[in-house]
Amino acid sequence: MFYGLSGVRHNSYVSDSKLFPVPADRNAVVFFLLLGLAAPYLVSSLYLNSYILPWLIWTAAVLGLNLVTGWAGQLHLGYAAVMAVGAYSAVHAAKFGIPWEFALLIGGLASSVIGSLFAFAALRTKGLYLALTTLAMQFVMDWVLTHSPTIAGGSHASLQSPTFALLGQDITSDAGLYYVAFGWCVLVTIFMLNLRRTGLGRALVAVREKDFAAAILGVNSFYYKLVAFAASSFIAGVSGAILVSTFYFLAAPEQFAVNVSIQVLAMVIVGGLGSILGSYLGAALILLMPGVVNQLFSLGANLLGLDLGIETLAHIPNAAYGALIVIFLMVEPLGLGKLYANVRDYLMVWPFDQLKK
Amino acid sequence: MKTKTYVKRLAAAAVMGLTSLSAANAAEDKIKFGLCYDLSKSYTFVTPQITQAAQDLATLTNMKGGIGGHEIEIIVEDHGNEPQRGIECYEKLKREGVFVFDTLSTPVSVAVLPRIMKDKNILIQSLVGRGDAADGSVFSQIFPVGPTYWGQAANDIAYIKEQSGGDMKGVKVGFAYLDYPFGQEPIEILKTLAEKEGFELLLYPVPLPGSDQASVWTKVRRDKPDYVVAWLLAGGHVVAAKEMKRNGFPISNYISVNWLNEVDIANIGAEAAIGLKRGTNVAGGQDLPIIQEILADVYGAGKGAGPVEKINDVYYNTGLAIYSAAFEAARLAVEQNGFPVTPDSMKAGYESIVDFDANGLFAPITVTADDHGGGGKTRIEMWDGKTWVPQQDWTAAYTDVIWDVVKESSSKFTVE
Repeated sequence: MFYGLSGVRHNSYVSDSKLFPVPADRNAVVFFLLLGLAAPYLVSSLYLNSYILPWLIWTAAVLGLNLVTGWAGQLHLGYAAVMAVGAYSAVHAAKFGIPWEFALLIGGLASSVIGSLFAFAALRTKGLYLALTTLAMQFVMDWVLTHSPTIAGGSHASLQSPTFALLGQDITSDAGLYYVAFGWCVLVTIFMLNLRRTGLGRALVAVREKDFAAAILGVNSFYYKLVAFAASSFIAGVSGAILVSTFYFLAAPEQFAVNVSIQVLAMVIVGGLGSILGSYLGAALILLMPGVVNQLFSLGANLLGLDLGIETLAHIPNAAYGALIVIFLMVEPLGLGKLYANVRDYLMVWPFDQLKK
Repeated sequence: MKTKTYVKRLAAAAVMGLTSLSAANAAEDKIKFGLCYDLSKSYTFVTPQITQAAQDLATLTNMKGGIGGHEIEIIVEDHGNEPQRGIECYEKLKREGVFVFDTLSTPVSVAVLPRIMKDKNILIQSLVGRGDAADGSVFSQIFPVGPTYWGQAANDIAYIKEQSGGDMKGVKVGFAYLDYPFGQEPIEILKTLAEKEGFELLLYPVPLPGSDQASVWTKVRRDKPDYVVAWLLAGGHVVAAKEMKRNGFPISNYISVNWLNEVDIANIGAEAAIGLKRGTNVAGGQDLPIIQEILADVYGAGKGAGPVEKINDVYYNTGLAIYSAAFEAARLAVEQNGFPVTPDSMKAGYESIVDFDANGLFAPITVTADDHGGGGKTRIEMWDGKTWVPQQDWTAAYTDVIWDVVKESSSKFTVE
């Protein structure tokens, strides 16, 4: 009905591997792209820069983690550490006077190098053991950041980020910063959408499903795992750098601590492994829900005239937020992305599927 | 115009799924303080008491006619110690007409600091956040009224010097600290002072979260330091007390950072803790005019912001101290530049606080345009089994050394 497939026929492999086989999907993407472009004119600056901007940057980061965890099937518990490498190298580079375009690149490459160096060691193990090794990486990074003032910056380990600039233009306005985040998120999304259609993407999926079966098919699983780690680390590094330069304005160890790693992984899992839409929804749920639930509860308490203590009011939303995650995962274990896919699959044939019954 | 904002808001509400957008423009005759606090994660050992103190003090002040006839409003929100949510809270309250903020969390204060500086709002940053913010010439919008950790550690050393008869040669001072920025901060100062005064400094890093200190205190037993200065938090002190007992280190030679309260004392055991010392800028106990007044007028009238038992806690006193200073600044602001209070007049108000101690509640502070810390005076208080007994007068020692460190660190900060 909404996803009319009549008249859509694929006569060649190229047409079959189109980005959006269903026109309705493409239209939806175009609609959201336009909405994203127009957001600074539609949304107040509070929502634009305190909610949407961090959400988009985290979505880009989540997509990166999804590459290694969702596509290549490697559990990664040290993702925030990789983001920290990118953030700190980019800020140091920018402080050194290198233009931000290159500083971001340096951040990404530094992350990529350190991330894949670590992967070299980590990939000798599998599954839960790999997860633990990546967790070790997180702790090493935490330790380095809290013990080396040269890297982490002076007082209370905070490193100020120079004003963000692209092409020699200082970017300070709310809308400008938003577009930087938006641009990066779109870039990563395009990359991830196309990854599915390439040999690399198929090789990664083969490795995920069974790495020795992939080896029999001639896919060098160690090599592809390494590529996955390197690529996802690059995305993590640039995302970390953009997060610091457009949102936090300074880097501090707490922004990339172990709980952040767990949160990103939660975004991937709640959103759905290997799902791009899921990455958006997962990041939104984990990142924004606590604040929103909090406000809803204080609003509700106000409306009902309940005089809850401030502490109770702070703790109830946490419980509700936890319950929300559990409920979503019980309804659809494959994540929020799959929830949408279910609706879509149902509507694709509706109402004609009713005729049979 | 009006329809445009309406459309904007509608779109925002639709995007965020929120309907709570009716910004309160009605009550503009109030003086608002935005408390973005961590009420649910790491700082819960202190935030409830401090919030209650702030609300009670506001109630008391409002009962007496407010500040220059204007009511005080305390807005509290939880940020769960997450920088992201702290920024969210700051940005939201900023748009509701709040310009005096307090985050009471080091990670969050660090995260909102660049925004505060850029927006020229006011951040109350007592006892948390970066220490060099005391330098008002650089951090013009930040008011960390109270001691820095550097100053507090130096004052502890001054006390030890006093106790050792003015000569520190041959004195061994141990420093037990949580091994992350909070605990590491005083190390440099202590090293400098060790060189200056000739005492021996022994470092005892305690791994996070501070619940395992067995190896630390066996080392203490071996080294036999005369004093141990401890930069630990809440439960860390309780573990330390147990280990001290096991290793035969007298608790009376234990000097804690200001983060130790009656809850920790109860966990150690009120009897077992006799003799324990604590550096502080706020007087302990309830025998203070302001607390008696709150007990009589606010709690007597049933208007307390929380259970009355919570008043028996030095963190409650700490909260009163922070907000006495803030309300005094607001009072001076109204007196000097009238109503409404603006960030500029609030800043000027703060900077004209002279020798203010809220009737003996805390160390007298004199805030100037250069010194936003107010002098950084502290004293050592001792737990006598029932309450806190001051061991010395309010002092600020080695201020030249402290300011060298503050200046050196603050000189690296620029407003972007």
